[in-house]
Amino acid sequence: MNCDEVREQLPEYWTGALDETARSQMHGHLAGCSTCRAEAETLGAIWKKLGAIPEERPGRALRARFEATLEAYMQGLRQAERGPSSREKLDKWLEGWWPRQPAFQFGFAMAFLAIGLLVGYSLTRNSSGGGEVSRLREEVTRTRELVALSLLQQQSASERLKGVDWSNRMVQPDPKVLSALLHTVNYDQNVNVRLAALDALHQSTSNDMVRRGLVEALDRQTSPMVQIALIDVLVDIRDQQASSALKDLTQEAGLNPEVRERAQWALEHLK
Amino acid sequence: MEAQADHLVMLAVRDGDVERIGVLFDRHHRMLFNFFLRLTANRGLSEDLVQEVFFRMLKYRQTFQAGTNFTAWMYQVARNAHLDQTRKHRLEIVPDDEKDWGNVASADLDPHEQMEQTQQIGLLRRALAKLPLEKREVLVLSRFQNLKYGEIAEILDCEIGAVKVRVYRATRELSQIFYELSGEKAS
Repeated sequence: MNCDEVREQLPEYWTGALDETARSQMHGHLAGCSTCRAEAETLGAIWKKLGAIPEERPGRALRARFEATLEAYMQGLRQAERGPSSREKLDKWLEGWWPRQPAFQFGFAMAFLAIGLLVGYSLTRNSSGGGEVSRLREEVTRTRELVALSLLQQQSASERLKGVDWSNRMVQPDPKVLSALLHTVNYDQNVNVRLAALDALHQSTSNDMVRRGLVEALDRQTSPMVQIALIDVLVDIRDQQASSALKDLTQEAGLNPEVRERAQWALEHLK
Repeated sequence: MEAQADHLVMLAVRDGDVERIGVLFDRHHRMLFNFFLRLTANRGLSEDLVQEVFFRMLKYRQTFQAGTNFTAWMYQVARNAHLDQTRKHRLEIVPDDEKDWGNVASADLDPHEQMEQTQQIGLLRRALAKLPLEKREVLVLSRFQNLKYGEIAEILDCEIGAVKVRVYRATRELSQIFYELSGEKAS
């Protein structure tokens, strides 16, 4: 062992990390080299002194802060699993429209004010035309129904999707539209169209025909995605009639295991 | 029941059992706090940094691989948090007043010895604060944190031989600063 090697191993020597051979080599060197011996004594003293610095305790608030951070993090995870709420989506969408430049913001506000004034003025001037407005509304609704119904019969899946979208624009869809949507849920070849139709029907579940139709649709479905979406809708509307259909479904041989699990979960919820 | 090893707890955290990070906090927050305290000599800042380390462990939990040495990984996170903090606040961190620290002298000493020890600890703290950061860091890791040289090498991303040299040089420089401050002559 030369002087450099000895000095580099001093900290390990003090902590007792050196093996027996290295230790005896160290002793041998220190016994014969006064420079290294002096260095070992000086540095050994400071190394020992450092041990007198006591360990400190952090404040109690640290744990509370940690727990709050953890809770916030877990809440964030739960929220991320659920996806953004419809309110957040709407806020984001509106935010996308709002200009960034203050000058444009002012312009936007002025334009809205002008439109508001114009609409207000024309409405008060034509207050006698209330009947005409309601007739116009009826006509628009009927046109929408026609568009939705004709689009739902198109060859192309994207056209049929548009048809479902049109049906969504009606506040209270006509029974004809609702039964066309149920027909789509049951017989459309495209899974996406079936799912979209199911979503559209979800808004009209106060209608008995729709509720009955959805329960009956359960045993016609073959796609696990649609089956699961349908089960979720039935649980959401708490339809008691659905229980027997769900029981039948769980007993079906060759059923997708995830669907079976979802159906069993749904049965638990509907109890 | 035997406590689960740190790396297994961290793997559980990585795989979604996020709440179990509390176990790691219980085991290591005090050690980390003292690590930062010896680097920064500032209690408030050290608490902030401990908080930051556990937050980063959650944030980057997916990067923790099976077979990783948890302690080395944790100190790497801690070291990065401290480096980012020093980069962000280029101004010198103001060390706490010594009277803000706990009672330092051992209770079993007589009043005169207690006074002497308190004075010496104060000097050591000031000497540590004067040591350049990279030397202070390696000295703190080897002297106070109960880490093996292999782990320190992993934390600092260097060879074990380089760690030995650095620890020796840091001790030497600390010794010089300490004796300069105390007015004694280093031999």
